Amino acid sequence: MSEQIAASKITAQAAAQGSALLKLLIFSLALAVVPISSYFLSRDYVWGGNATWAALTAAGSAQLILVAFIVVSVVEDRREQAAKEPKEHKKHR
Amino acid sequence: MSTCPPYAPFFGLGGVAASMVLSTVGAAFGTSKAGIGIAGLGQFRPELIMKSLIPVVMSGIIAVYGLVVSVLIAGGLRPTDYSLYAGFVHLGAGLACGFTGLAAGYAIGYVGDSCVRAYVYESKVFVAMVLILIFGEVLGLYGLIVALIMNSRATEAPRCI
Repeated sequence: MSEQIAASKITAQAAAQGSALLKLLIFSLALAVVPISSYFLSRDYVWGGNATWAALTAAGSAQLILVAFIVVSVVEDRREQAAKEPKEHKKHR
Repeated sequence: MSTCPPYAPFFGLGGVAASMVLSTVGAAFGTSKAGIGIAGLGQFRPELIMKSLIPVVMSGIIAVYGLVVSVLIAGGLRPTDYSLYAGFVHLGAGLACGFTGLAAGYAIGYVGDSCVRAYVYESKVFVAMVLILIFGEVLGLYGLIVALIMNSRATEAPRCI
């Protein structure tokens, strides 16, 4: 019985690590690709060649990625805490 | 004295290099120092790792600032018809962004390291950590803004044909 609980814990940990790794990969790629591509695309198609506004757009997009990362990490933390609480209630009974 | 000497691009290219190199040094310091804290925290509270990676992401953004300014300055460089004034402006822009990125990365590194270690024991430190990190990050943002303003002045440089 305890081996089954241990095995389920290990698979749950592995699943959590897999999804966390995927999120980290997505954010790393986004931080590498989005600012520089938004600089060039906005300079050519949005601001009509004005490089200053394009650089501000790139800096703003980097900030947006940061905000998205903070939101994702806080939401994931809240979800983990909510998942932990029912299990603890079951244990204490 | 010519307005467009042949050694003028030296200063412009120096600005490109300074912006990228110095902001990357700051970002590397921030990433490594915060990573030390995360490695210490991850040993006994692995569920906090995702939230503790915020200083590392902010250090990456400092390097993005340096990259954007480098690309911006490099877009205005010319082999001929490039005045010494434009070269100095580009050098100043690159140095402004680079050194402020160095300062911001330094701050983010120390704050990230200490705050993620404190976050293990007191969860209310998280909001304070994010606020302090944001204040450290806007140092790099100020350098970016000054670099942008300086670079926009380089277009009014005299032409020599």
